[in-house]
Amino acid sequence: MSGTRTLHVLVMLGGMIAWAVQFTIIYGVTSTLCGRGWADATLFGIGIVQAVIVATTVLAFVPTALVFMGLLRAYRSLEGEDASAATAFMMQAGILINGLSLIVILWQGAPALILPACA
Amino acid sequence: MNAPELPNSFERKETDLPNPLPRPEGEFEALKKAWEPPRGISFITAVNNTYVGLWYVGTAFLFFILAGILALIMRAQLAAPESDLVSHDLYNQLFTMHGTVMMFLFAVPAVEAASVYLLPNMQAARDLPFPRLSAYAFWAYFVGGLVFFGTIFFGLSPNGGWFMYPPLTSTKYSPAENADWWLLGIGFIEISAIAGAIEIIVGVMKTRAVGMSLDKLPVYSWAMLVFAVMIVIGFPAIILGTLLLEMERAFDWPFFIAERGGDPLLWQHLFWFFGHPEVYIIFLPATGMVSMIVPTMAQTPLVGYRLVVLALIATGFLSFGLWVHHMFATGLPKMSLGFFSAASTAVAVPSGIQVFAWIATIASGRMRLTTPSLFIIGFLFVFTLGGLTGVMVAMAPFDWQAHDSYFVVAHLHYVLIGGMVFPLFAAFYYWVPVASKRPLSERLGRWVFGLMFIGMNVTFLPMHITGLIGMPRRVYTYPVGMGWDSLNLVSTIGAFMLAAGVALFLVDLARNFRFAGENNAGNVWNASTLEWLPNGNYNTRSIPSVVGRDPLWDQPGLSQDVEDGRYYLPGTATGVREALVTSPFDARPQYILQVPGPGWQPVLAAVFTAAFFLLLTVKFIFTSVICGVLAVGCVIWWLWETDPGPTRPPADIGGGIVIPVYVTGSMNHSWWAMIVLMVVSGMIFTCLIFSYLFLWLVNPGVWPPQGVRIPGWIWPALSAILYCASAALVAVASRQLQGEDRRKPRSVPIMIGVALLLVGGSSAIDLWSQWQSALSPSAHAYGAAVYAIMSLQIFFVLTTLIMGAYTIARWLAGKLDSIRRTTFDNTMLFWYYTVGQGLVGLLVVHGFPRFTGGV
Amino acid sequence: MDSVARRAAGLLWALPVAGCGGVQSALDPAGGDATGIYRLTIVMTAGATLIFIVVTALLLYAIFAPPERRAWLGSRRTIVYGGLAFPVVTLSLLLPYGLLVMRDTDVPRPGALRIEVIGEQYWWRVRYPAEDGQAEFSTANELVVPIGRPITVSVTAADVIHSFWIPNFGGKIDMIPGRINRFNFTAERPGIYRGVCAEFCGDQHARMAFDVVALEPAAFASWRSTQAQPAPEPAIPFLARGGELFRAGGCGSCHVVRGTEANGRFGPDLTHVGSRRTIGAGQFPNNIGTLAGWVANVQHIKPGARMPSYGSFTGEDLRALAGYLESLK
Repeated sequence: MSGTRTLHVLVMLGGMIAWAVQFTIIYGVTSTLCGRGWADATLFGIGIVQAVIVATTVLAFVPTALVFMGLLRAYRSLEGEDASAATAFMMQAGILINGLSLIVILWQGAPALILPACA
Repeated sequence: MNAPELPNSFERKETDLPNPLPRPEGEFEALKKAWEPPRGISFITAVNNTYVGLWYVGTAFLFFILAGILALIMRAQLAAPESDLVSHDLYNQLFTMHGTVMMFLFAVPAVEAASVYLLPNMQAARDLPFPRLSAYAFWAYFVGGLVFFGTIFFGLSPNGGWFMYPPLTSTKYSPAENADWWLLGIGFIEISAIAGAIEIIVGVMKTRAVGMSLDKLPVYSWAMLVFAVMIVIGFPAIILGTLLLEMERAFDWPFFIAERGGDPLLWQHLFWFFGHPEVYIIFLPATGMVSMIVPTMAQTPLVGYRLVVLALIATGFLSFGLWVHHMFATGLPKMSLGFFSAASTAVAVPSGIQVFAWIATIASGRMRLTTPSLFIIGFLFVFTLGGLTGVMVAMAPFDWQAHDSYFVVAHLHYVLIGGMVFPLFAAFYYWVPVASKRPLSERLGRWVFGLMFIGMNVTFLPMHITGLIGMPRRVYTYPVGMGWDSLNLVSTIGAFMLAAGVALFLVDLARNFRFAGENNAGNVWNASTLEWLPNGNYNTRSIPSVVGRDPLWDQPGLSQDVEDGRYYLPGTATGVREALVTSPFDARPQYILQVPGPGWQPVLAAVFTAAFFLLLTVKFIFTSVICGVLAVGCVIWWLWETDPGPTRPPADIGGGIVIPVYVTGSMNHSWWAMIVLMVVSGMIFTCLIFSYLFLWLVNPGVWPPQGVRIPGWIWPALSAILYCASAALVAVASRQLQGEDRRKPRSVPIMIGVALLLVGGSSAIDLWSQWQSALSPSAHAYGAAVYAIMSLQIFFVLTTLIMGAYTIARWLAGKLDSIRRTTFDNTMLFWYYTVGQGLVGLLVVHGFPRFTGGV
Repeated sequence: MDSVARRAAGLLWALPVAGCGGVQSALDPAGGDATGIYRLTIVMTAGATLIFIVVTALLLYAIFAPPERRAWLGSRRTIVYGGLAFPVVTLSLLLPYGLLVMRDTDVPRPGALRIEVIGEQYWWRVRYPAEDGQAEFSTANELVVPIGRPITVSVTAADVIHSFWIPNFGGKIDMIPGRINRFNFTAERPGIYRGVCAEFCGDQHARMAFDVVALEPAAFASWRSTQAQPAPEPAIPFLARGGELFRAGGCGSCHVVRGTEANGRFGPDLTHVGSRRTIGAGQFPNNIGTLAGWVANVQHIKPGARMPSYGSFTGEDLRALAGYLESLK
């Protein structure tokens, strides 16, 4: 599997990978801060747990959105060109996967807006 | 209607067929001879996917029936309150075995088995890339599974629930061997699942019909690919979990004992990190089957292929973010629960996509109401309901009520029977004509479906209410007058209807299933995919080139041309069994893989593996170790015959394509398998590091506990240097092992030998330094975690030692040189992995406590 | 004897269940949290039913409608709207609703009555800590709470994992060795309810229940002060003989009867065992007959329970012993 192909796969799965990273970070940080009783700290007036979740969500969302738009643009410019069917397919799948990931990433951050940090 | 999903410019058109007629004399006979199954008693040494696949499916179905009978006994007991039909102890064994057997011995093996049979056919591959590995996986499962099930007749079955929560399953509260049966019994099932997953990943990525690029892959192949990747990621958690619990039981290492710094919740995290994806591991292959059957029954291509692929991939990812929803009531912070609530909600979307894709496909065609169709309709009905209650339990507050009540029993059976059993029965009715001379009976099939569908709903629909009005799960009886009596009676009646349906299916099978090696019933449904090509043990006479997703509809005359040998590789180039390896994305032919044929090795290796685990369970340590050594010996004997090297110059497979019969490096199929194995190992190790950090988190201020001295930094540093040196030596050996003069670099075996000493010494130093610091593995979870990390590393180092010695032996026997070096490559990859794992382990064990300073 | 007792127990429970509610039902909420969850349940059930009907109808339409009339359904649009857009919108509404219910359920409140419950194989150790000058005391297999006042139950387990579930008052909370979990609720309706162990905990998981009695505050206060008292002296010689048998039989090595020399910590506190509604962890109505049967036959009635059967008592002795226990009001 060549380097380009590996990159294609990573881009195709990009949003889901971003979600996985977001999920790991927010769950790990919440568990550690709450488990050790370090959750009382605040950052700019909001609780540290919520702040981390919001920041992580933004950090996962923005790259996914960029990849999503980049893939859309690249796919449009692909029309008529002699790209391999597999490449075109991976782009289309990538658009769908990254698009769905945008929603999932937002949902994943939603608890920060509603729930208390460690109760 | 169904608009084409790809612009025409992306389609390749195949005009001329690669091989001309007439075909040379004897070509077909040679192909047939190479693929001839063994006869007589050595029949069981067959490794061809056609045989192994069918045995595998049959065995899985046997366990479905056995576990179903256990369920019937339980339903009989629960038909009336305060019933004395079975004792509490037997009941506890029954529900434990029902869950365990259904999940581990039926569901996962069944979907894996079906793919062993179907995948190569569907992709027009001659066989799976590692036929002996499938045979090994099957026999280990067959022997081990039957013995494991047999414990129920001796009252020795595990009785702690299929989830085996400690401390109930720890030595203190389960001193008998019942729990060990579960832990070790599950061991070989894990092995066969992992073996199957490696087979499937490499099979889907590397052995396809020519031109079957990713966009033309059957949905079933996509589903199996996601399935296999999920096994690779998910099963390591349960492998590690069972290892830790067995170490706690056998050596008193307190991973889960709260008084000594352990935590019972660690088990739950490990178990459910496997256990929830497990549901989707079972469900995705079934949806893959549905996506194959629906288009055939509606006689129209699947609508929304890309959306379905998206759904499969998204499910694969999201299902790893749900595990804590089995732990909503364990008192974790609400914020954490919120994350899992959100992910559990999100996973409903891909399922919705798939359901509507099938509805759209049905609407765009004309659905024939055959038995497979009925099961599909039943599946949609039942699974939709199960999915909706799934969204309900994703809401933590509702789950606090529903959890561990009969509501959840109802939900999970709707999801699993709806989502897996019904599609499997649809698949039986649909694909039997591929494997049998006669299709199953449509008339009986309707009765089978009717009984199963009504029985299923009568059994489980009332349970939603039973649960909400307070009936907890896993109770061997219940008091009179709680309002549960009549609901339970109805459920029992339903269960027997369901069983009657299954019994009728057996009748149908007995009357109509006649194994067909060659003359199967044929394409009775006018299906569009390649498994319906005329086939024999060699699968298809020639390997077709496809231009679309529905080759039999897109390319009229394909069957005849394939049968005539007008496509690729119509005979055998090397005179033995072979498969065509294609590139993973575009499916261009890469090389001819010489596939091993029948042999006793996988059967014997599997029997000894099973014996090793089973004897270990009953504490016949000595015999068990002998069996373990014999198992390793058989594996080595088996491997000795592989890696044949370039036995002939590159061959013409037709259409002017000339490809080699042997390649090494990253194109090689076993390179891929080794990479997958490294991911499995890496996941096991990651789960272990997670366990270490988890135990740190629950032990504030005692990491390490008082009185424990961390060995001086000099020892881990020395250890790390030796690891790196051994890896460097292997890298140098690899560089020397190149060039045309095949036997030139005589230093290779010496370098491997020295590297072996280094890697072994490194591990020994680490063990010695901890031992010197008087760290006890059983005093506190800290010591247990440290020794667990070291034990795993020692296991890998020992494996490296065996592989290194094997590689040296291959060199000495003249079976390894600078061209024929796949064996060396595999050892090298594994070596690098072992060294990497060792270094990370050293960093965690010696660095983390220093870094946190005992916080 | 035991099957008779079981039938009797059944009859006892049948009375309150006769209505559409239930002493152990999530569909008959008797507290604020349970009502919130109940509302969520109703909303989701209604929504799920509606979606289920629509999906099934679409499926049947796709199969049976004439081709020209169902053609609109057979395109990618169907998937995008039905399988993607619709779930995304619905779940975007449901998820915040569920999270809000979660936020408002099981919330610790100031001034809550604290109760500690420890799950053991197969019964419940209950302790009311000292509060406002009122002494602490222990009891077992029975939770008595005042209505209108928030309650915080701290739970843990002594041996294996159990789970504490009173369906009428809200969800369940696991009792895990080495961890202390809290469960907060407020009872709003006086009455008798039932809780059970919801996590499989071994042989007699099925027979691990407890009574929940919600009283008016005044009644609760009086119950509390009675429970804090030591056990009453036997009033008549027959009961005194029972007390003597209790002592001589070694019962005190496992059970506490405050005010006597019985101070065992292994089994349930029996100081006021006669005041409880049931015995055997919510299994049988509490009277001399069932008490006697229990002492003589535990291992037959509840095999695997930690208490051995004491079958060697004569009938007369057994009656005296049971009478003594029953008198511990």
